[in-house]
Amino acid sequence: MRAPPSGLLAAYRHVDAAVHAIRSLKEMGYRDFTVYSPAPNYEIAEAVGHRVSPVRLWTLFGGLAGCAAGFAMTLWMSYDYPIIVGGKPLGSVIPYVVIAFELTILIGALSTICGMIFHVWRSHRTAHYDPRSTDDHIGIFVPCPIERRPAVEQLLRTSGAEEVRVEI
Amino acid sequence: MPDGLDRRRFLKVLGVGGAGTAALAGCSSDQVEKLIPYLIPPTDQIPGLATYYASTCRECPAGCGTHVRVREGRAVKIEGNPGHPVNQGRLCARGQAALQGLYNPDRVRSPMARDGDGQLSPIAWDEAIDRLTERLGQVSGGALWFVTGNESGSFARLVSDWMSGLRSTQHVVFEPFGYEALRQANRDVFGIDAIPQYDFAAAHTVMSFGTDFLETWLSPVEHARGFSEGHAFHDGRMGRYVHVEPRMSMTAMSADEWIAPVPGTEALLALAMAHVIVRDGLAVAPRDIRRLSGLLDAHAPDSVAQRTGVAVGTIDRIAGEFAAESSVAVAGGMGGQHAEAHATAVAVNLLNYVAGNIGRTISFGRALNATGGSTYGAARRLADAMRAGEVEVLLVHGANPAYATPPGLGFEQAMGNVGLKVSFSRFLDETAMQADLILPDHDPLEQWNDYEPRASVYSLMQPVMRPVFDTRQTGDVLLQIAQRLGGRVGSRFTVETYRDYLQQQWQALQRRLGDRRPFDMFWSEVLQQGGVSDDGGAERQVRLAPTVGATRDVPTWSPADGQLTLIAYPSSALYDGRGANRPWLQELPDPVTTITWSTWVEIHPETAAELGIAEGDHVEVTSPVGSVTVPAYVYAGLRRDVVAMPLGQGHTAFGRYAEGRGANPLTLLSSEPTAFGGLAHYTSVTLRKTGQHERLPKTEGSKRQMGRGIAQAATLEELTHPGESHEEHAAHAAPVPQHIEDVLHEWQEAQYRETERGNYALPYTGTVDGERPRWAMAIDLSKCTGCGACVTACHAENNIPTVGPDLVRRGREMSWLRIERYFEGGRGDEPLEARFLPMMCQHCGNAPCEPVCPVFAAYHTADGLNAQVYNRCVGTRYCSNNCPYKVRYFNWFDFQEEADAAFAFPDPLHWQLNPDVTVRSKGVMEKCTFCVQRIRDAQNQAKLSGTTIGDGDLMTACQQTCPADAIVFGDVKNPDAQVRGLAEDDRGYHVLEDLNVRPAVTYLKKVRNAAEA
Amino acid sequence: MATIAKPEAPRAPPTYAEITRDISATLGNPSRGYYILLGGVLLVLACGVGALLYQVRVGMGVAGYTPPVMWGVYITTFVFWVGIAHCGTLISAILYLFRSAWRTAVYRTAEAMTVFAVMTAGLFPLIHVGRIWYAYWLIPYPNQRQLWVNFKSPLLWDVFAVTTYLIVSTTFLIVGLIPDVASVRDVATGWRKKLYRITALGWRGTDQQWRHYLRGYLYLAAFATPLVLSVHSVVSWDFAMSIVPGWHTTIFAPYFVAGAIYSGLAMVITLLVPLRKVFRVERYITVEHFDNLAKLILLTGLIVGYAYLIEFFMAWYSGNAFERASFWNRAFGDYWWASWTMLICNGFLPYLLFFPKIRRNIPALFLLSLFINLGMWFERFVIIVVSLSFEYEPFAMGHYTPSWVEWTILAGSFAWFFMWFLLFAKNFPTVSITEVKEIIPMPRKGKAHT
Repeated sequence: MRAPPSGLLAAYRHVDAAVHAIRSLKEMGYRDFTVYSPAPNYEIAEAVGHRVSPVRLWTLFGGLAGCAAGFAMTLWMSYDYPIIVGGKPLGSVIPYVVIAFELTILIGALSTICGMIFHVWRSHRTAHYDPRSTDDHIGIFVPCPIERRPAVEQLLRTSGAEEVRVEI
Repeated sequence: MPDGLDRRRFLKVLGVGGAGTAALAGCSSDQVEKLIPYLIPPTDQIPGLATYYASTCRECPAGCGTHVRVREGRAVKIEGNPGHPVNQGRLCARGQAALQGLYNPDRVRSPMARDGDGQLSPIAWDEAIDRLTERLGQVSGGALWFVTGNESGSFARLVSDWMSGLRSTQHVVFEPFGYEALRQANRDVFGIDAIPQYDFAAAHTVMSFGTDFLETWLSPVEHARGFSEGHAFHDGRMGRYVHVEPRMSMTAMSADEWIAPVPGTEALLALAMAHVIVRDGLAVAPRDIRRLSGLLDAHAPDSVAQRTGVAVGTIDRIAGEFAAESSVAVAGGMGGQHAEAHATAVAVNLLNYVAGNIGRTISFGRALNATGGSTYGAARRLADAMRAGEVEVLLVHGANPAYATPPGLGFEQAMGNVGLKVSFSRFLDETAMQADLILPDHDPLEQWNDYEPRASVYSLMQPVMRPVFDTRQTGDVLLQIAQRLGGRVGSRFTVETYRDYLQQQWQALQRRLGDRRPFDMFWSEVLQQGGVSDDGGAERQVRLAPTVGATRDVPTWSPADGQLTLIAYPSSALYDGRGANRPWLQELPDPVTTITWSTWVEIHPETAAELGIAEGDHVEVTSPVGSVTVPAYVYAGLRRDVVAMPLGQGHTAFGRYAEGRGANPLTLLSSEPTAFGGLAHYTSVTLRKTGQHERLPKTEGSKRQMGRGIAQAATLEELTHPGESHEEHAAHAAPVPQHIEDVLHEWQEAQYRETERGNYALPYTGTVDGERPRWAMAIDLSKCTGCGACVTACHAENNIPTVGPDLVRRGREMSWLRIERYFEGGRGDEPLEARFLPMMCQHCGNAPCEPVCPVFAAYHTADGLNAQVYNRCVGTRYCSNNCPYKVRYFNWFDFQEEADAAFAFPDPLHWQLNPDVTVRSKGVMEKCTFCVQRIRDAQNQAKLSGTTIGDGDLMTACQQTCPADAIVFGDVKNPDAQVRGLAEDDRGYHVLEDLNVRPAVTYLKKVRNAAEA
Repeated sequence: MATIAKPEAPRAPPTYAEITRDISATLGNPSRGYYILLGGVLLVLACGVGALLYQVRVGMGVAGYTPPVMWGVYITTFVFWVGIAHCGTLISAILYLFRSAWRTAVYRTAEAMTVFAVMTAGLFPLIHVGRIWYAYWLIPYPNQRQLWVNFKSPLLWDVFAVTTYLIVSTTFLIVGLIPDVASVRDVATGWRKKLYRITALGWRGTDQQWRHYLRGYLYLAAFATPLVLSVHSVVSWDFAMSIVPGWHTTIFAPYFVAGAIYSGLAMVITLLVPLRKVFRVERYITVEHFDNLAKLILLTGLIVGYAYLIEFFMAWYSGNAFERASFWNRAFGDYWWASWTMLICNGFLPYLLFFPKIRRNIPALFLLSLFINLGMWFERFVIIVVSLSFEYEPFAMGHYTPSWVEWTILAGSFAWFFMWFLLFAKNFPTVSITEVKEIIPMPRKGKAHT
């Protein structure tokens, strides 16, 4: 894994302060900063302003695939090994709905997980990290070259950062 | 001489005892491991193809003809010989189980003698014979006694020749069921010392006075066939059968009316009937009945009604019925043989006589050889002689007096005074255990012999396979002894082997029959036919003996005051106890109580309530001479003052399956012979509850069918006057509207067409309707007598393991076919009625067991069979839950695994297994297959011969053996098939029809010929 | 009553730091008592395994089966455990969709219970088949014999439903754990730190991670909801699809699902009451939570009670002789005691929960939950065994009594369940750190800001 870029890592106690900082960073034109929070937080998410996660598409197509697989498997196997039981038709669709349903859920759920992992991996940015941000701090890491540090540090401090560290 | 050469060559062709089977190393226990070498195949053994040998069943004196199915040199199944006049292709459970006599693991495997410390240990044949010969050389004729079972024909002649050669006349025939009362009555009434043949087929009205003619009496298979022919409903007619006995036996369960008189008074009833017939001139009787007037006058209905407990009206009615059409009355069954049974038999003889049945339905011309002249009295004489030390050498063959006589007789102890006790028994039974020397005889399936079931019927036995053990035919042993002794006895016999002796006899017979052909031709023919008969011999004229009618007071039997009457009746499965070492018979549920593997005492519900006895409570039954403790079975088919116990259990030896099971009711019977020289099977007893309790090893769940219409019945009127209401069943309480019926039907047809596609047909290219058969079965409940022969036949054909009493208690019996016995009525004053229903897999067209199997182990074949693939079965048991008929059986243990506690086939019993049928392993489900192996075999044969399977070419094992011909199997799609006709019969119904599972088995309602009140 | 009923009400909500501290404190360095308990559990489990091996060697006959009762304690217990599983998913998924805040404190326990209960239930179909060594034949895998399985069989539906349920609920549990494990990682020390570093899968709680995580979690919940309903419906169809009187009824699916959640909730209480004491998390799992659980029990209990009534009513109203006989036998036949245990434990006792006093009285709730667990086991016993023992064919009716083998394996199954739960409780947070934080507003500088 390549080393994270140098930059500033700020730690906040208060959510409103962090949100303010995020807003002003964006005003300054920063996009590539990373926000850490111990719990999901609506305000932060809104401030960062991501579009809705594309994971839902994985769910949709996974589910559809599962359903199709369910019907395909049951019907094909019934005719590939045509055994008559209880005088019922070889391919009895109604009971096969159960199988199709379960496979819809199974494959749908699994593909959702895959989607999550895939997108988290794609959107991953190497950044400096403060362990406290899984406890009770909100962390913001802004990668920036030396010449622009003062301005950013200024911004972070005024927005109420409890601490701002320079990370090389 | 060329003649001899021819004969030997020809015997080889039949492969009997000589070259043929001897070439098969496979069939002797010491060479089990060897494969059968077919480089030079024995002439009559083709691997994979069965050979059939004709023989004769020796499990009881009836002497039915058999065909023994032999595969790779081993007998695997016994079937009835269709050509035999006695059983005409049918066989009872005991006959089926004869195979387990042959392969019984407890057979005596070689000659044995008492060694120094009194233990029986094997010795060589020569030595054994020498010991006996030596002793016989010294013994004086009078001190040599020979006890045999009921032998007729050559062996009996050999024995008497042999004995007289040794200057002894002490040849005692011992047959526990000696029917002494009946024979005495025949002597007294007709002056004939014989037992006639009773023709039930020709009789419209049957009256049985305590006689179980469908179970053990004389010739049950013959009777069952005749009875179902004469009595069962067909074309709007049926016979009428009234049973008179204090207990409702299996035989009585087939009766249209059961009359339970005061025990011991049957004679009065019979005489009263005779009285009515004569009084009202209902029948044209011989003139000499005038001599009876005094006797009959003394027994007017109103005079006996009180003592018999049967209403005058009833007596008049049944007398009228009896005389109205051809009829037969039977008495003298061992279950009815009380101290005055002789009077009953006399009275019934007279009843038959006045009704003119003698010569019509009763033929002394075809006298049966049911007893060989045995009497209990003779056994007693022997016991006394032994006690008196008059017996030096005692030879016992084919009899077990030490077990089958009341302990009071002390036969076993008396044997102690005998110098040399020799047994020819095949098993270590109670008598053999006392012997000093055991010279095991061949099993009837291993030996040359013949038997005469009745006058002018000569039935042959031939070795169907090489002897299983180191045994030797007693006939040969006797001849060898004669040769070694030489002198008088030696000179009597010109032949060396018993086979030759037999052929001498048959050469004489051939001459008697006026057959002019060369003997070999005759011999080969009779061997293939299993015998020869010149039936229809002259009917002998029968008149009353001069003494008849001299006395007018008729003795009756009654128990001691305030005591109950115990009836010790013959077990329909174990007979007199000789069947007790056959697991198939032990596990065959008693037809009345469905109890297996044990002895019980039947008690009337009210009596039981008074004594606070519930089913399974242990009860001490005490008679003047002894007492036994057995579990109680509460049974409404008894008079309140009567209790009953089956004979046959309580062995103290006789192998692992018999020893120490149940109790022997003989313990309770007096050892004093009755006036007629027989053993009284009635005694007075008291009951005491011991406090122990057990869960009975029985197969019945509920005694009653809860109005579910499982076993349906109708009365004759209902059938002959259509429109009258039939039995209503709760199951049909809510009728399905017609339009729904139609929809169901259409849908059902569509479903059924699906199955027509067959299993491996590609979708939508299957065969069309009619191209494949639809195997189906029809069972006529008006014929079924509940005897259980089909059950044992199924065990034999399909390698079904026996599980033993403990598993039966848990309801885990494996029998694919069970006889369900339901009671109707019996509450208040409505008559008790019993119904039998053979229940096996119904092979439903829309089988509920199939779709629930997750792995297709249960599926539907193209020819409508509901198949079970053992190898695919995982054992979820869902199919069994979903089977409304509960005919699927699960392998709870490894019955085929030698190491397993539940192992069902100890060596050499596994030789009985049918090579065409898989032996199922632990954890799989199994069930009736409609004998699919027979179906496929027939189909292959048809294919090879380019023909098609005709109706009746193919029989399932149960159908084949059914003595009453109640089961019919065939292709229901074939318009000409018998089963098709029955399936469309008005009486036809399906069990639990409302479930719409489309069973392939059609039951025909039982029909009761109710009395016109 | 409010005053006595809500003693903990006035207390201030914990801060994030406290939450992390308190809950991390439940992990690591178990006491001697814990090891003794675990030892006992393992001992019982060993007995169960021994009994199972004995049964496999000798044959199913060692169990008490008495035809026609071909299913007994094993299937009863299978349905029992599957039922237990359900409430976990209810709390973690359905209540999540309903955004009910109180679930956060209890859902982790419930969810863990779900996974372990399904793991237990899944064993029983195997234990009960005659040839366990061929049980894999129920899976449609390509094989040289070219055989496939019968998808028309409800047992096949079971295979799919239960497997799906196991996989989905397990992933659901793991996904929910990730952020918690991360926060524990950042406070833990020693080998546990390594363990959590791996199991946290590199979680840091960045904006992007939360973005995708929340979506994914939402859809998993959305899937788990119909799944939980389907699974017990399928289980109920094992019976409803047959023609056995007492089984063959359309009410079974909803009836079983309600019963399942009912029993599961009882089990959650049975687990939470000791847990909150031992782990001293009363502050997070409060009487309020028990009150809410009790209300859910009451609701499902009413549904179950209604189902009982309707079953008997329909048996009579259908006019079907077999149904009537079957239910008459249920109430007054050989097994009356089982039926009445069921009716009293599930049909009457729970209605005590109408009284808030009892809903908020934790010992009473605990006792009640035990009764409900018992009652629900007997419900399945009654449905399965009693119906089978009294079917169509009177001659073939029989009476089944379980054998020691079955009881031992039943005990073993509880041991198996508690073994997993004990191991889990000491190594992973049984109260969700993240979600508890989530419902507590983050501190702000001042009101001035908007």
